[in-house]
Amino acid sequence: MSAELEAGKKESRWKLSLDTWAVLVAFLLALLVRTGVFKHIPW
Amino acid sequence: MADAITVPQVQPVQPAMRFMRVIPGVLLLATVGYSGKLLEQNVGAYAKAHHWTFPNIEYVLWAIILGLVISNTVGVPEIFRTGVATYEFWLKAGIVLLGARFLLGDILKLGGVSLVLVAIEITGAIAFMTFLGRVFHLKPKLTSLLAVGSAVCGVSAIIATKGAIEADDEDSSFSIAAILALGALALFTFPVIGHFLHLSDRVYGLWAGLAVDNTAEATAAGALYSDAAAKLAVLVKSTRNAMIGFVVLAYAIYWASQGQAKSVGNKAAFLWQKFPKFVLGFLMISVLATYHFFNKEQVGALANLSRWAFLLTFAGVGLRTNFSDMRKQGLRPFAVGAIGEVVIAGFTLVLVCGAGILFGW
Repeated sequence: MSAELEAGKKESRWKLSLDTWAVLVAFLLALLVRTGVFKHIPW
Repeated sequence: MADAITVPQVQPVQPAMRFMRVIPGVLLLATVGYSGKLLEQNVGAYAKAHHWTFPNIEYVLWAIILGLVISNTVGVPEIFRTGVATYEFWLKAGIVLLGARFLLGDILKLGGVSLVLVAIEITGAIAFMTFLGRVFHLKPKLTSLLAVGSAVCGVSAIIATKGAIEADDEDSSFSIAAILALGALALFTFPVIGHFLHLSDRVYGLWAGLAVDNTAEATAAGALYSDAAAKLAVLVKSTRNAMIGFVVLAYAIYWASQGQAKSVGNKAAFLWQKFPKFVLGFLMISVLATYHFFNKEQVGALANLSRWAFLLTFAGVGLRTNFSDMRKQGLRPFAVGAIGEVVIAGFTLVLVCGAGILFGW
């Protein structure tokens, strides 16, 4: 049980926050635009 | 006896399952947001074709109204709720992408001015809300939550402070309900006041960023005025958000000194944990744009991606606002929040008008 708890704690320590996910997704999108995968985004 | 106690086994949710759970709600956000955009384009054209006098209602307001109607009539079914809650994710991704439209020089120049205004606003708001809490005999921790919510950044600040000062769940629900209800009111009153006073985009954007508490509502209140006002509102609001760690730390230290919260060990780690990472992302994209990492078309594409992300956010603002839930939270905290917000809005309006005269905005 304590080993499971320890593993759970370790996992939560490495879990990314919502903020960090938002930054990573935004950077990925920016990279896709920069490399020309997304050439034109309509509005 | 102790052997008889069983620990419930919590089944971990698989990442693929978690992803599947958000899809219906995200589709609802997209449908509501896109309907708002279609209504903006078509209602105006239809009214013009039929020679009707109809105000030009922006997609921002349509998306919020549609969301409010759904949330307050049929309600948001359980299947959509997890996905609707992602509106905050889209807001933060949108703010990071918006960084491409800011040059670093502008951020430093405006950020410097807004930092001074933010410092004055935070100090004034905390002092006034604490005073009001005492006058209305609110519980001290509830007063702290309301003060942080109205001074810094709404719901995120309340949640961060709740954990740090060990406040009751009920107190944080009260504070969140009051801040959200007042944010919803700000959406409809701020643009009207701004137009009535003929505020420039810059002065209005600064005001919305300083006085509207939740980041989503501040962005929407700016976008309801103009694109330029929305840009500034986001910049000023992000400056306020960046202060969250310091304010929460100060409250944590105060309540620990009263023996009513755990003391903070590593203060630098505490500050980093509370610091909104999307502010760093916004600055990094802006640095890249300043040094021409993106060409003009790419900056345009990133700006449009940011608009799509905000469209989902605005739909989410309407969908998660339920007036009957807010009414259940009671009148006193709402009254304290409302009086505080009106005074803070008036105080910050004088502040930004003064800055406008000083800097010729």
